[in-house]
Amino acid sequence: MKSMSLDRSAPAVAAGENSTQSMSLDRWALAAAAAILLVLPFTVTGYVLYVVNLLMVFVVLALGMHVVIGEAGQFALSHTAFYGIGIYTAGMINAAWHPPFFVSILAGGLLSAVLGYVIGFLALRMRDIYLALATFAFGEAMQWVFLNWEGVTGGSNGMRMQPAELFGLKLTNDLQAYPFVVLLTALMLWLTVALSRSQYGSSLRAVRESDVAAMAMGINARAMKQSAFAISAAFAGIAGGMYTLFTSFIHPESLGFQTTILVLTMVVVGGIGSVRGAVAGAIAFGLISELLRQALSIQEVIYGVILMGFMMFMPKGLFADRNKRAARTTTAEAQR
Amino acid sequence: MRGTLTSRNNMSLSDIWLFLQQGVLSGLVTGSVYALLAIAIVAVFKTTDVPNFAQGEMFMIGGYVALMLLLVAGLSYVVVIPLTLVVVAAGAALFQRVVMERVTGSKGVGVQLVIATLGLAYGLKGLVRQTGLGDTPRSLPSLVSSDAVLIGDAALTRLDVVIFVVAVVVMVLLYLMFNKTRIGKAMRAVGMNPRAAQIVGIRLSRIRMMVWAMSGLISALAALLITPKVLITPDIAHIAILAYAAAIVGGFTSLPGAVLGGLIIGILENLVGLFISTNAIVVAPFLAILVTLVARPQGLLGGKPQVKKV
Repeated sequence: MKSMSLDRSAPAVAAGENSTQSMSLDRWALAAAAAILLVLPFTVTGYVLYVVNLLMVFVVLALGMHVVIGEAGQFALSHTAFYGIGIYTAGMINAAWHPPFFVSILAGGLLSAVLGYVIGFLALRMRDIYLALATFAFGEAMQWVFLNWEGVTGGSNGMRMQPAELFGLKLTNDLQAYPFVVLLTALMLWLTVALSRSQYGSSLRAVRESDVAAMAMGINARAMKQSAFAISAAFAGIAGGMYTLFTSFIHPESLGFQTTILVLTMVVVGGIGSVRGAVAGAIAFGLISELLRQALSIQEVIYGVILMGFMMFMPKGLFADRNKRAARTTTAEAQR
Repeated sequence: MRGTLTSRNNMSLSDIWLFLQQGVLSGLVTGSVYALLAIAIVAVFKTTDVPNFAQGEMFMIGGYVALMLLLVAGLSYVVVIPLTLVVVAAGAALFQRVVMERVTGSKGVGVQLVIATLGLAYGLKGLVRQTGLGDTPRSLPSLVSSDAVLIGDAALTRLDVVIFVVAVVVMVLLYLMFNKTRIGKAMRAVGMNPRAAQIVGIRLSRIRMMVWAMSGLISALAALLITPKVLITPDIAHIAILAYAAAIVGGFTSLPGAVLGGLIIGILENLVGLFISTNAIVVAPFLAILVTLVARPQGLLGGKPQVKKV
């Protein structure tokens, strides 16, 4: 009765995003994105590249949240905590041993995954609102840790980070980091799509629709949720590692609930359960938040209006309608 | 926090006793305000299935409406208090009627409802910042003197006593409303089983509007109570986290639980501040939430754990 389930009327589990029309659209979108990303470093200045790098980090964060909310249907609000863990882990490893950057990014992702698995073990006994509140509390507690563990994070003074390295080459500016950020984002995007299309992905969606039904089919719902939670945490940790590639300073202030909400907004406005929705949402809201950084009050009002407006008039997000129509046409064709 | 009496390392027994009294009494005062906000959260959740993430902002806007009426419009308290209550209650009812009805109507569930309230939270915060009133921390002039009142060995101010008494009176009134009046019973009925309530002739949308109005009223009242005591900024909305902790500790669907939870969180917060460190106060509510949810997810008075029907 008091259920907080996600998007019950989502298109059928198997339907996913496989209509041929949107597949070719995806190809065009990918080709266009690749072209833009290729030309970009030769045409724009450092700040624009910084913003693009940041957007990539947001894309990976949104993909991670997509895994746990969109695929597994679990409403978790601790994403920023794992993002922070990724940032600090990678930052510390870079400072201590100067390994090739992918080692430190991987370490951050792994640590996040392990912690995510443990937190998931505790939190996923609950569902709906309780899960949301428990993960929210964990996120806030982690921000407190970041703010107070001065030996590691510099506390409220923030922390200067050593530049990431790759076999002796120091990544000291946005341009140098850019190709690696792009590659990592592409890799994470590919992983998400692969996960979504795999058997594992359909099991997750089965759990999302009804964990009882999924269990009746022999799916271990608990283990599925928990692994999805860990994978999502790993994505956030890796996004944190990517962040260290092009920035030299981190302050715990930016690792609070509002960042989780920002990412949640990206996923929901993009369309819960849709990979392209997560990507589009990340780019749109990443841009809005960066462009309006100077005008905090206006940013907040605009945000508020967008959130309420979308929930009122387009609650399934930008990319869900097309799926629904696609699902409906497939059903219609099947009936004929 | 008033607990800078001795260094914390070598506390004598009498110090501990003093701290304990002080912590519990101060905790009851702030806790009663958290309890009010927790009641607002629980009442809205029970009747509309919405965990209101804008609860803190509704509280904050109460404080700023009062500030604006007092300082900018120059009205007197006699006008300001009822006007603030009415404005915030009407605003909350309007939000339910215009936004939430629509989100629920368009098959929005769970996430969508939460995000709509987050939208409200952002909107309110942005609006207050736009006015410029939020740039410097302010507080309302107090109606009561801040003379000390000694209870046992602990010292409270008169304002503290007034806050506690008013909060308790409001709780009693709410109790009477929920148990004796038709409207209150209708609210409870909607909370228990909306469809059945509708069948026996209760108009859902009207009751839900009224619950939101009531939560707005309580929020504004809490703001009026606490803002003479503390400085407010737009970020005071964070106080809702404590109210959330209170609601969870009490059991998220229990109104008496919300009161109990509020008092517990208030006392806990003060004791942590006195005995451990003021720095740890911030994290105390989250630990309370985590411990409750892991050890006893249904909270203290939440009854049986809820099982979702398939």
